[in-house]
Amino acid sequence: MEKGGKAYAGKGKTPFKVVASKRGSSSGREKEPVNVSPVEIDSDSDSEGFIEEIDYSKSNGKLSSKGTSGKDGKGFSSGKAGGKGGVYSSSKKPPKRDDLKLQLETPSGARVVMDCEAADILQQIQEQMVILSEDPTIKFPLSFDKAYQYTKEGKQYSDTKSVKDILESLKNCGVNDGEICMIANSGPETVEEVYALIPSLKENRYENEEPIKEALSKLSEVKLPNICGRKN
Amino acid sequence: MFFHIVLERKIQLHPRYFGPHLREKLVSKLMKEVEGTCSGRHGFVVAITGVEDIGKGLIREGTGFVTFPVKYQCVVFRPFKGEILEAVVTMVNKMGFFAEAGPVQIFVSNHLIPDDMEYQAGDMPNYTTSDGSVKIQKDSEVRLKIMGTRVDATEIFCIGTIKDDFLGVISDPGAAS
Repeated sequence: MEKGGKAYAGKGKTPFKVVASKRGSSSGREKEPVNVSPVEIDSDSDSEGFIEEIDYSKSNGKLSSKGTSGKDGKGFSSGKAGGKGGVYSSSKKPPKRDDLKLQLETPSGARVVMDCEAADILQQIQEQMVILSEDPTIKFPLSFDKAYQYTKEGKQYSDTKSVKDILESLKNCGVNDGEICMIANSGPETVEEVYALIPSLKENRYENEEPIKEALSKLSEVKLPNICGRKN
Repeated sequence: MFFHIVLERKIQLHPRYFGPHLREKLVSKLMKEVEGTCSGRHGFVVAITGVEDIGKGLIREGTGFVTFPVKYQCVVFRPFKGEILEAVVTMVNKMGFFAEAGPVQIFVSNHLIPDDMEYQAGDMPNYTTSDGSVKIQKDSEVRLKIMGTRVDATEIFCIGTIKDDFLGVISDPGAAS
């Protein structure tokens, strides 16, 4: 198992993305059985409740994770890795992830907006409102403030246009708008992280791996230094 | 994630507002009525970014009010199943924890927290690994994956998981202080 492959979990290398939960078993699940679903939640309709079918048949009520034992062991090393987020050493199987592919249902005519773009748009609106608003009854709703705060504190890039240009090129290898947006929003550092977070991209791995690697290295150039998270 | 979208709404205006500032009045009424609302289809309408078209008004019988169809562009925020979000923990209890990502609330059940994190009660309830190296408490920032959503008239609730690779704590307020 190659530990260095990730350079992620720790050693203070990435103050921003120190993520805790990486288990010993793995990331690669390209050939998973499709019919096994430990967790099925129907969320694609507009107003349905949670419909969970969680298999608690394993002892102590823990989530079952059939068919997900690691195959390729991409360096999700067990043991400690220092930093804030230690790597979990665990022989327990992670939940099946391919069930959780991004299910983006964009209404017709909608354009996906990356968080960094949204930050610029909302900032502009806020500045305009301060200057132009003659009607004191117009106030920003709570959701505006929260969304604005969210985008502002999560801002990772120095230049939104560059991010857009860099990631736009991924469309040529079949990466869709939603996936591009997720890459931009989550700010991954390695291609393995991209595949772990957006499993749908693994299907065309042979086609998109190199372009994604290139895009990530370009993105790292426009990343803001010393991001310490949304609450800093 | 955020979207930019064109929507349409019928705005009713009292005749006393008819005059040179009719458009401004319509826009401000539109903002009051629409911004901050939430629909299952589009999510939270965060802000109106522009008005594309205001159609011809139609007088409503008996009231004198006029209804104008208004097409407007807006930014909406809607979470999707499978989406990765970075959220701030707002409450921790033995059932799991609640976190917020923008206007959206997410609940992460203790079944979807890694097995080696245990609930610790106290003034500042938290989930901690046995060696204490990772802690989730109020104000911690976590990266999570949306597993499901439920939408009602005014809010969107999500359930999420941190029990997967590259998910979990990003920043721990306790560690920073």
